[in-house]
Amino acid sequence: MTFTITIPGIIRLVAVTTPDEVLAVNDASMVQRSLSGRGGLVNRLVAARFAVFRSPDGDIWPAFRDRPDLLRGERQTALEARLSNVEPLLRRIAPEIAELGDYVRDGVAHRSTGVIVQQAVGRLFFADYAASEKSYDAARILQSWLSAWPLHAFWIRRSGALQASLDRIMDLSRGDMACAHATALAVDNIVRSIKLMRRLARHGDNLAKIGPQDALARTLRAPSHVVREVRDEGSAGPVRLRARSLVLLAVESARRQSADPSFAFFAGAWNRCPAHGIVPALLAEVWQAARTDTRGCT
Amino acid sequence: MSRQNDGFDFHHGLLQRLLDVAYRAINFFVRWDRLPIPLIGAANLGVFRDRLRAHNLHHTGYGINTSGDWSAGKERWRTADGSFNSLGHPRMGMAGSRFGRNFPLPECVPDSGDELLDPSPREISRELLARRTFIPAERLNLLAAAWIQFETHNWFSHGVPEPGNEFKIPLQPGDNWPDSERVDGCMQIRRTLADKTPRETWLGATPTFQNINSHWWDAGQIYGSSQSRQAEIRSGTDGKIAIGRDGMLPPDPKHRGVDLTGFNDNWWVGLSLLHNLFAREHNVLCDALKARYPAWRDEELFQRARLINAALIAKIHTIEWTPGILAHPALEFAMRANWSGVPSHVMRAVLGKDSEAAYGIIGSPTDQHSAPYALTEEFTSVYRLHPLIPDEMNVRRLDTGEQVLCELVNMQGRFTRRFMEDHGFTNLLYSFGTNHPGAIQLYNYPNFLRRFEKDGQPLLDMAAIDIMRDRERGVPRYNRFRELVGKQRVRTFEEITSIPDAADKMRKIYGNVDRVDLLVGLLAEDLPKGFGFSDTAFRIFVLMATRRLKSDRFFTDDYRPEIYTDFGLDWINNNGMKSVLLRHVPQLGPALEGVKNCFMPWNVL
Ligand code: HEM
Ligand code: HEM
Repeated sequence: MTFTITIPGIIRLVAVTTPDEVLAVNDASMVQRSLSGRGGLVNRLVAARFAVFRSPDGDIWPAFRDRPDLLRGERQTALEARLSNVEPLLRRIAPEIAELGDYVRDGVAHRSTGVIVQQAVGRLFFADYAASEKSYDAARILQSWLSAWPLHAFWIRRSGALQASLDRIMDLSRGDMACAHATALAVDNIVRSIKLMRRLARHGDNLAKIGPQDALARTLRAPSHVVREVRDEGSAGPVRLRARSLVLLAVESARRQSADPSFAFFAGAWNRCPAHGIVPALLAEVWQAARTDTRGCT
Repeated sequence: MSRQNDGFDFHHGLLQRLLDVAYRAINFFVRWDRLPIPLIGAANLGVFRDRLRAHNLHHTGYGINTSGDWSAGKERWRTADGSFNSLGHPRMGMAGSRFGRNFPLPECVPDSGDELLDPSPREISRELLARRTFIPAERLNLLAAAWIQFETHNWFSHGVPEPGNEFKIPLQPGDNWPDSERVDGCMQIRRTLADKTPRETWLGATPTFQNINSHWWDAGQIYGSSQSRQAEIRSGTDGKIAIGRDGMLPPDPKHRGVDLTGFNDNWWVGLSLLHNLFAREHNVLCDALKARYPAWRDEELFQRARLINAALIAKIHTIEWTPGILAHPALEFAMRANWSGVPSHVMRAVLGKDSEAAYGIIGSPTDQHSAPYALTEEFTSVYRLHPLIPDEMNVRRLDTGEQVLCELVNMQGRFTRRFMEDHGFTNLLYSFGTNHPGAIQLYNYPNFLRRFEKDGQPLLDMAAIDIMRDRERGVPRYNRFRELVGKQRVRTFEEITSIPDAADKMRKIYGNVDRVDLLVGLLAEDLPKGFGFSDTAFRIFVLMATRRLKSDRFFTDDYRPEIYTDFGLDWINNNGMKSVLLRHVPQLGPALEGVKNCFMPWNVL
């Protein structure tokens, strides 16, 4: 379903929610990730939110780079290749997986789930990556910066929290933009899945009864939406796109309607998440870790 | 913005802010070109320019490094390659540095895949650009066409394309493109030379290209953009440019039929006339300087004469050529104000001595505004003015009045020097003064350039190439370009043009108005009164024409007697196109009698 709203000077927006539409719009050449802020006040405010995701020397975070950007493509392929070494990587983060398993099973952990997930994700990039409450706070601040109401957002920026969070994430990521993206933004999707796993595990003998793949299918979540802009007028499948409309691709909603579990990662599309293989393996492993202990085999 | 823009920023003054608000209100009701009183229109242009200075300058990195042979003392004159014009940012504007952009980088991303070739540039060339009958620009003479190409050769060149990975343009069944030129049934277009310098990560998907000439307004077309080229064109005595025994520029040993000068690509008689004229001017300047400063040697004479000659050319361009092609009272006023300020003591007193509006840009403080100086891809695009070139011209003899119709194709490339020898410098200047260029509009692209043989290149359809270049370089198509220079997008083809039949043709070819190519839109657009080209292109000129002066130390901070000499400043002040022409070709006197602007038609005797 397509939802369009145009109030001259205020907003020009189109939201798409069905899998076919989401894929068609995502693939349309007049639709881009860079936001110009044209189209109305809201468009401008949204663009300003996304504009901060750059390194101090101007490097752009990967999920905000445009499709034809060669560097984006190269880095995406390289990371995808690195992350395809699933087994060794999962072994590397076995301690974090075990911690998360404990949490899913018992609902308790020595530190917050977010910190553990952030550390697990960070260690996919650097074996010695160490997350902390502070670094996870930074991720939370960046996530809320993207969704906060204007006054809150104003405060996040004004108080210096925004810059401090960006600096902290960039520092820990050692200049690797994908690591910054993963440990600040993507981490949230995994945290949500872990929390859903915990909820699932609390009920009856789910932990014993539900296998890891099934648990994964029930708990995997996509980003609720990703944002684009229509550069020039055109159409994508049945969707008519007016120039300078902000586009919301409701990925999570579309995922729920899709038969393909990898929809959450845009697998197969130009912007497929390079972690589309390892994240499901990681989540399945967490569930397995939770179960393993239930059977008393730790 | 500043991170990518190398730390440069634009600062609005209070008066600028107030004017900006006022003109937003005024322009809601009245377009700038319809305002009464030139001063009010000129102030409106000033407001546009400030908006553009704040939002439409985008750095793409310099790309290359300066050569190591800089030493103190050299800052007194222009380097051959344009480096060290800015002493703090020596790579700025030098030959080989990158073209900048007038739009935010993500707006400058080429279409990908099939869309890049859609619709076919060859079809556009055939259906919308091809000249049916010559449409003259009657207010101008042909010298105006040669002049602007002469100037673009000072400012920029993307270099000569090399083979490899060509664009393949499918051809329609009835197309007469020669079979021998087809590859897999397609027309081939070579790509622009690739920029091989290391790419900054923040460039995103925006392609970059190098300007092989220096970006500065330094008369590089005459003097070259490298030390070695400069050495080739110099006589080695008294600072002069080498001239043959016949008083004309010598032949280029590497290019048959072409003169040896700073930059001689795409050569034809029109360029040869202007290069010869200003080489003579340079040599006269050397004589005059030597008479005043007998101790000066070859190098000092050459460099000082170059500075003076370059500034005189810039002045002629600003206050003669531009108001010639854009004959609007507000512009006449604005261009004079650009050079020498407003002619009002009261305004000068109010605005203060550093005000460029009051005293002109010349001699005001250097300012890069929001990005390091560089010419831009969009600037190149709006100078794609090939319709100015006729397919034929009347060559007239000044002494007998005899005339003969000659084809342009026979007075370019390897035929140029021969044509000049056959008809003579004086007769050809006179002929250029008395012929018209083509009007810059659809259906007026010279047909010889649509099937153009250039040495070392496959057969070229320059119209299709012009379309392809803008696409390849990520220059936005027409409607988005409008929006990005501060105009409204159009919603229908009819809003662009009233040229009979053009809107329908464009609809048939493009379907969607947002797909119209920049060049097609610019050539289709209905023009403001007196204008020789479109208002959309004009917005880029408003910004860049003054930027070429304001960013250049030698037109601003260093426009002073210690650099130019008092004699030099007076020379620039007291001369113009007419005095230059008459100094070197006094026989033109009667043809120029009563002519106010040398780029407008001269008297046919
Ligand atoms: C449940 C977890 C995750 C989900 C659902 C997810 C989903 C997505 C989606 C939908 C996109 C496309 C966004 C867009 O086009 O705007 C994306 C991009 C990306 N993701 Fe993930 N992601 C997850 C975890 C991760 C992790 C753990 C990493 C890194 C280890 C990662 C790295 C990236 C990168 C680098 C991109 C940008 C790809 C590009 O260059 O276009 N993601 N992800
Ligand atoms: C007989 C006269 C002329 C000839 C033979 C000629 C030929 C050419 C050729 C071969 C190119 C290069 C095409 C390519 O990108 O592969 C070119 C580019 C160009 N021409 Fe002309 N041209 C002529 C007159 C003019 C005039 C009068 C103008 C007016 C300003 C002009 C402006 C340009 C511009 C702006 C470019 C693009 C340069 C670049 O990409 O750096 N030309 N011309």
